[in-house]
Amino acid sequence: MESEGVKQAIIRQAREANSQSNARLLIEGINNSCFDKCVPKPGSSLSNSENACVVQCMEKYIAAWNEVNRTYIRRIQQEVGNQQIGNH
Amino acid sequence: MSDLTIAQSDIDKLNEKDRAELRQFFANEEQKTKIQSQTHALTELCWKKCVTSNIKNGALDKNEQSCLANCVDRFMDVNIATMRALAAMGGRQH
Repeated sequence: MESEGVKQAIIRQAREANSQSNARLLIEGINNSCFDKCVPKPGSSLSNSENACVVQCMEKYIAAWNEVNRTYIRRIQQEVGNQQIGNH
Repeated sequence: MSDLTIAQSDIDKLNEKDRAELRQFFANEEQKTKIQSQTHALTELCWKKCVTSNIKNGALDKNEQSCLANCVDRFMDVNIATMRALAAMGGRQH
């Protein structure tokens, strides 16, 4: 039981750390891409339309991330499958 | 994953079975992390190529979606072509 508890704590901490760093990278990507997209000419403040753009851009970026992730995983699995066929 | 705050005295309590399970867990997490980090890089890259018009709503349109999928696939093709070309080059030099 002692061992089980320690194992669970390690797993929990590792998952937490990974999901934090994943979120940080996602936010970084959103900031870079949506600043580029929504604020082509920075003015003295963020306008209402720029603000609205940022919100939509964020949703769109997350949708893009999911699409890229899905395609990438499919492709990796396909390549692994090809390799296995090649080896036999 | 390096900033775990588990005391060494606790780690010593792990039995062999749980150690083996943890090794497996970390191997899986490592793979997941690699895929995620490559996804982040690819998303930034393909976003630039595929989302070229102004943002009108929060959803991807059909063209953007298929462009993103193609972008990832062609990036992988380039990856593989580079490795092949590099291997052929090495083969000639040695």
